[in-house]
Order: sequence, then structure tokens, then C-alpha cells
Amino acid sequence: MLLALIILYVVTLVYLPITERFRNYTIIIALQGWILMGIAMLRLHTLDLWEMAFVVAETLVFKAIIVPVILMRTISRTGINRIAASGKSQFNALVLSIAALTASIIVTYYIADPTIDMVFFGVSLYALLSGLILITLRKRIFSHMVGFLVLENGVFLFSMAVGVELPALINIAIMLDILISVLMLGVFLTKIGGSMKNIDSDKLTMIKD
Amino acid sequence: MLLACFIIAVISAAGVFAARTDGMLKWLCSGFYLLQTAFAVYIIAAGTGETELLFFTFDRTGVLFHALMAVVSPVAFGYSLWYLDRETHVQKQLYHALFILLCASLTGVYYSNNIAVTWIFLEATTLCTAGIIYHRRTQRSLEATWKYIFVCSVGIAIAYLGVLLFGGLSHGADLSYAGLAESAAKANPLFLQLAFVFIVAGYSCKMEVFPLYTIGVDANMAAPAPASALISTVLVNGGFVSILRVYRVMESTAVSQWAGNVLIVAGLISVLTGAVFMRRTNHFKRFLSYSTVENMGIALIGLGLGGFAVFAAVLHVAGHTVLKSAMFLQASRAGKSFGHYQVKRLGSYINVNRPGAVVFMVAGLLLLAFPPSPLFISEIVIFREMAMQEKWILLAVTVLLLCSVMYNFARNIVRLCYNHVRAVPPVEKPGYGLLVPVLVLIAAAFVLGVWQPEWLTVWIKGVAGQY
Repeated sequence: MLLALIILYVVTLVYLPITERFRNYTIIIALQGWILMGIAMLRLHTLDLWEMAFVVAETLVFKAIIVPVILMRTISRTGINRIAASGKSQFNALVLSIAALTASIIVTYYIADPTIDMVFFGVSLYALLSGLILITLRKRIFSHMVGFLVLENGVFLFSMAVGVELPALINIAIMLDILISVLMLGVFLTKIGGSMKNIDSDKLTMIKD
Repeated sequence: MLLACFIIAVISAAGVFAARTDGMLKWLCSGFYLLQTAFAVYIIAAGTGETELLFFTFDRTGVLFHALMAVVSPVAFGYSLWYLDRETHVQKQLYHALFILLCASLTGVYYSNNIAVTWIFLEATTLCTAGIIYHRRTQRSLEATWKYIFVCSVGIAIAYLGVLLFGGLSHGADLSYAGLAESAAKANPLFLQLAFVFIVAGYSCKMEVFPLYTIGVDANMAAPAPASALISTVLVNGGFVSILRVYRVMESTAVSQWAGNVLIVAGLISVLTGAVFMRRTNHFKRFLSYSTVENMGIALIGLGLGGFAVFAAVLHVAGHTVLKSAMFLQASRAGKSFGHYQVKRLGSYINVNRPGAVVFMVAGLLLLAFPPSPLFISEIVIFREMAMQEKWILLAVTVLLLCSVMYNFARNIVRLCYNHVRAVPPVEKPGYGLLVPVLVLIAAAFVLGVWQPEWLTVWIKGVAGQY
């Protein structure tokens, strides 16, 4: 079951470079939230009940519900719908994503360390690279936000690999999630989105040499 | 004692938020900086040792950088009082409260003995700094704030992956640097390499070095100049301390040489970046920020070389802290006189504020590592270490890049002081209240470079090899 969830998680990451609609991005983020909740329940069942409840609440309430709702609201409010001005074609993004997947598998294979669950490590590395690819290739700031959320989900997934022994690290990851996501979504929603409709990152050029 | 320090910071910040008048705000902040300085003096006098808090230790590294912050932050606060004259009371409240919280967060970074706690406090600095950058509430400051939060968040998330990897290595043991050094010695080298790269890449946004240096430069441009004096020095030091501590963990492993090489490469690219962009930029605060990138690059190279060059790296960072803050604070006066920071439209500052122009030239020369600057000693030691390790290409490239830096730096300072421009502001009063603190900072550089009392040398050597 755990492996099936992780494979589903990888599928969401592979789908990420193919899609160009922001609603799909939001659905992927919500789906990842649900998958992470499932993984947390299966992986961390030995934890203290309250700690477990905290993790599940964070993944379900925050990642799977609140963040997607905020993103959907942003889509409705700003009218942004799809990647009108992509930095590279979907094909290039897919090729890069597959290269990232291959690189993650190779690194994981060569590390092959018994101290850490290598499946979690490999998928987290792929999530990190997928997030960075999305941030680098797409011009719309909305895509950058999604890229960051994907990256953060990857970090959270990896925290679960070591979380059985070090639950404090999971709590820190949760704090990172909530604090930064709230801050970034807040700035994005109330300031950036309000003052600049439909923005591309190449319009943020007031600060330069 | 440390707990009291954190509590005082939180109460002071809350008090500033609640202060109804500017006078009250001023007294509250002054009280905080006075206590902070007294705290630093007390720790130096009492010596290093354990704190009452589990995750913090009064070690030499922490005490040195805390003392530097205790010197720089009150001066930056004093300048802020003078600089922020058009702001509303609420804007001032937020600015000063965040200033205090930034100092408290950095205190946590400096004294933390645990990799996860360091990370948490570095994250806290992001929140405080973002608020300070957004102070003006203009489109430009909004853009800078967004970029700062975004890039720092990405950097911090990447660094957290490195922390998690170290957590995995410790296998349930504690995450203290001492504990990590023990577990890392037996760890898989590839694992360690990945963890180290993630942490250096992530923390580079704080230390203003390659790869995420851009965000510090943008932040300094958008933030009020006295805040830039803090961001470009004590915040950068926070990044330096964090990387130094992780590097110490790596020293006990089989890949310590490799880790040193990573730092050398990152440092060299940072020096290259500084050299190229100091020539290109037309904004005086960005120009000073690229100088920070260059200087931190030299410090990273020193760290990477190891041996006595680590002492030089620490001395370099300490010297840079006092000199760069003096430059930024004086730049705030020049910027206010001219009403802008466009390098090509700045000039004749010698006729506007003669003592101020002298400060620029003296601090500039010291920053360019002319003797008796502490940076002269540090760079000579780093070059000597390169020669001793027979890294001739590295030595040649670094010297060449530093020549370019010197030329561009001197050119812009001379242009600021002597260039003839159409719009020259009226002659300024010397303003000794503002001049004296900057002179004190420059004098501190002389203490580091010329006098260097025995206890200070021993202290810095301790920072370089205490573990």
C-alpha cells in the first residue's frame, strides 16, 4: 500500500510538466496532500497519538484543503488560467523531468545506505528537482508558487523517512510548511496578485543592475 | 542568561509595537540595544561555557559574532532614527520591532549548537528581514520582498533536506554539531556530500555567496540603507557561522577535502560575480552589496583551504563587518543628500560633506585590504596558504579578480567624491552625532588590523580551530 502511494506520488510529479492549466496544478497539489496523509498514516503509526494527529491534520487540513482552496481563489480572482507564456515547451519540460527522475534513481542507487529509506529519499530528490524545474522554466509567478509547494512536499515526504526516529524533525517540517506557505501565499494573494494582474516574472524587473 | 536575552527581545519588540509615541519607541529600542551590549560584554568577561538552554552554547564563534552584532546594531539603530523621517509612526514601529527580532534571531543562530535549531533561527531571520525590506511599501520594495521570501524559502527548504540527511545519519541520536561529527565520521561519503551541498546551497542566500547571492543584493537595494548595514554584515555572518559549523562536521569525515573544494569553487565564483557586477551596476547600494559577495567569497575560499586560512577567513569576516557597516551607514547620508543612489549621478561629495567623503575613502581603502586593514592580513594569509598548498592557478585567478575589484571599487568611490555632476546638493553640516559612530566602526577595524590585542588573536584562533 505504501509503495502504491509513493508510485502515485511519482505519477503526480511526472504529470506536472505536461499540464498547462493552473486548475490542474491545484488539483495535483491537493492530491499530493492526500497522498502524503496516507503515507504519514502508514509510515508513522508507531508515533505518539497526538503527534500522529498533528501530522495528519497538517497534511489533510493544510496541504490537501487550505492551500488548494487559496490557489483556486487566486485563479478565480486574477482570471489566470493557463501558462500563456511558458519559458520552454511542454516537451522540453517533460524531457527535463524525466532526466531529473533518472538522476534521482542513479543517485539513490549509488548511495544505497541502510540508515535511510532509499525509496523516500529518491522520490524526495525527484520532487525537489521537479519543483526547481517548474520554478526555472515557467514564467508565471503562480507556477513558481506551485513549484515551491511541490518542493516543500518533497521535503516533507523525506522528513517522514527519518521521522520514525526523530519526530521533532517532522514537526519542524510542518512548521516550515505552515509558516512559509502562509507568508508566501499571503504576500502573493494580498499584495502581488492585487497590484499586478496576470503577472509574469519578467515583469518584476524594477530591481536590477 | 540567554533565555533572559530572548525574553527581553520579545518584550522590547512587543513594547515597540505598542508604543504610542516616537519618543517611547526610541527609549524602548535604546534600552534593548544597551542591554544587548551589556549582555555581550558580560559573556566575554564570563568566558565561554554552557547555557541554561539545551540547544545553545556560549562558544567562541558565537561570542565573537554576537559581540560584532552588539557593536553594529546600535549604530544602525541610531542611523535609522535619523534616516526614517518621512515614515508614519506605524511604519517606524514595525521597522524597529523587526530590527530587534532580527537581532534576537541572529543571537539564536550564533549560539546554537544544534543543526536543526540553527536552521529554525535562520528561517526566523527571513521573516524579520522580509518585513524590513517591505518597509517603504512601494512597488519596488514589494518586488524585492517577494523575491526575498521566495528565494530564501527555496534556499531554506533545500537546506532542510540537508538537515534531514544529517538527521538520518545520526540515526535517532541528537542533532548537535558534536554528535553529528561523530556519526558523520562513519557515514556514507556520497550521502555526506549531498547533505553538505544542500546546506551550502541553501544557506548561500543568507551568506550572500554563489549560488543564491542575488537575493541579498536585491534586499540591500530595496531596504533602507541603515537596515542594509545590518543585512549586509550581521545577517551575512549568520550564514557564515552556519556554514562554518557544518564544515567543521565535515572535517572529521573522509570527504573533508572534497567539502573544502566545494567551498573554494563557490567562493571563487562569488569573487568573480563581485568583480563583474561591481563594474556593471549603476546603483551604489548594489555596488556595496556586490562587494559583500566578493568578500564573503574570499572568506569561503579561506574556509575551503583549511589550516591557518580558516583563521584568516574569520578575521576577514570580522573586519568586513565593521567596515561594510560603516560604508553603508555613510552611504545612507550620501543617498539622503542626493536623493538617489544612481552611481552616474553621484559626485562632488567632497564638497557636500568633507568628513563623510574622507570616511568613504578611508573605509574604502581598508575594505580594499590596504594595510593596516585587517583584510590585508587575512588576504595575505589566504594567499600564503594557497601558495603553500601549491594551488597556483587558484592564486593567480583570485589575485587577478581582486585587481579588477580594486579598480572598480576605487573608481566608484573616487567618482562619488570628486566627479563633477550637475545637481550637487547643498553643503551638509558635519553632523558629529552621525559621524562619530562610523569613525568608531573604522577604529574597530584598526584594532583588528593594527593593534590586535593578544586576547583577540587567541579568541579568533579559537574560532578557527576550537572544535
